[in-house]
Amino acid sequence: MFKKILVANRGEIAIRVIRTLKEMGIKSVAVYSEADRSCLHVREADEAVCIGPAIARESYLHIPAIISAAKVTGSEAIHPGYGFLSENPVFSAACEENGIVFIGPSPKAIAMLGHKSSARKIAVKGGIPVTPGTKDCVTKDYLKEAEKIGFPIMIKAAAGGGGKGIRIVREKGQLNHEFEMASSEAKSAFNNGDVYFEKYIQCPRHIEVQFARDSKGNVVAFPERDCSIQRRHQKLLEESPSPAVNQKLRDKLEEAAIKLANTANYVGVGTVEFLMDLEKNFYFMEVNTRLQVEHPVTETITRTDLVKEQVLIAAGEKLSLSRSRASSFDGHAIEHRINAEDFSKNFAPSVGRIEEWVVPGGPGIRLDTHMYQGYTLPIYYDSMLAKLIVWGPDRAAAIARSRRALEEFRVLGLSTTIDVHKMIIDSPEFQAGDVDTGFMERLLAPAAAAK
Amino acid sequence: MDVKTLSKITKWMESTDLEEITWKNGGDKISLKVNNSPESHSKFSSTIVPVSAPSIGIFRFTRPGKANTLKQGMSVKKGAELGVVEVAKEFKPVIAPVDGYLKIISIEDGKTVEYGQPLFFIEPK
Repeated sequence: MFKKILVANRGEIAIRVIRTLKEMGIKSVAVYSEADRSCLHVREADEAVCIGPAIARESYLHIPAIISAAKVTGSEAIHPGYGFLSENPVFSAACEENGIVFIGPSPKAIAMLGHKSSARKIAVKGGIPVTPGTKDCVTKDYLKEAEKIGFPIMIKAAAGGGGKGIRIVREKGQLNHEFEMASSEAKSAFNNGDVYFEKYIQCPRHIEVQFARDSKGNVVAFPERDCSIQRRHQKLLEESPSPAVNQKLRDKLEEAAIKLANTANYVGVGTVEFLMDLEKNFYFMEVNTRLQVEHPVTETITRTDLVKEQVLIAAGEKLSLSRSRASSFDGHAIEHRINAEDFSKNFAPSVGRIEEWVVPGGPGIRLDTHMYQGYTLPIYYDSMLAKLIVWGPDRAAAIARSRRALEEFRVLGLSTTIDVHKMIIDSPEFQAGDVDTGFMERLLAPAAAAK
Repeated sequence: MDVKTLSKITKWMESTDLEEITWKNGGDKISLKVNNSPESHSKFSSTIVPVSAPSIGIFRFTRPGKANTLKQGMSVKKGAELGVVEVAKEFKPVIAPVDGYLKIISIEDGKTVEYGQPLFFIEPK
């Protein structure tokens, strides 16, 4: 097992990883930018090194600085967290070249599954249902391709992610214009103008399955997460299990994830995302080759530690879980992403000093955060303040606990999305579990109209 | 007041924390103003310029195959290379930002440095 691991990230996820490393008896190294000297992950780690200026491109995204930090501190492996370099095959390869273990899949697997159209090919090969769409990137005959699928369609950037580079085309007449826009957007955002078409599924749910596979070929899948509560393709609230999935469907979803991991010969922890239509058909969407923001809901209902499994796999050891152990769960978990955003101003990011930070506690509460009273939120990074994860013996109990916890949560000094989460859990649609990815738009429509 | 007296007063003022003196002859009025800013109590000259590491990495006084010529107290020119930081087989130069004297060398050859760490202090000419 490794003796020392560098965490190439900041904030709550760096702390999350450091916590597991401590429990495993592994020394941790934090890296930080000049703007993050007072960030909590710097204090939680055994060692910390400054790797560059505030701007992420020259610090958290700067591969030579991070490799160098690992070398000078004698770290044997690097955990990338999520975001930043976590899904960058160049970084994973740079680790390999320098004799440092990258805690994540191989550069080849990241490149193959990170590119949406090649990931789709693997899904097809593994017999996993995919949304009707073009097999490859579309070029000249795009009108013909679009008509073959049937409108409405979606145009997606092949190198995209996080909801960026997606356009919906409802009818033939819009296609030319939208195609041009999508490709130039993709070119500027991802430096890759490749796009492909997919059938647009009406009122879909976003269902995803966590899986893990070790170098010996042992593979497990966990109960699904429902991430249908999104705003502009950014997840706000996630829960597990999904209120729309029964055990029979769950078995099918887990089976699909396992097939995909085996087909790709994947070594590591990953997530396969599906869209589920009203008839509960599910279609492959994409694979995330990193630890995800919402991983705690899975950990909470299955009582597992996904970071620990990642470290075990990277060290060449066996998964600590059997297939049946990973599939078994207890109760219901909900994660609330609390962001520093002002929802009355169209979710504009809010920056400032945390004047008061009073957090919820008590039974069934987990709070992953890097905030503390007196901390000044830097303007350079994302606006997530905390992830509040609640557990209840069933969904209704979890919702009641969420309401209680959100009431206890008090933040002064900047605007937060705590009230948005209160609105979500108080809505009859959410309480009935009757949601799709259009839910947030409908929930916020009256507020937007009132302005 | 003659220039001689004035220069005596200003010289004396330098040894105090006084920032302002008003002196009136008719009716004998004296008012003194003390400088309370923290820098004024510092023992260090505020004009000294730190030279910090341009990157995380390993510090070298010279590029491979060259001899170290740096000496404490020596005069350095703005833009002179004082050393390099080796990061991923690349050498990032450490450059003197001003003309001056190399007052302090706070780094040893082959030592690990982090971004922004002060390596030298130069007293400008």
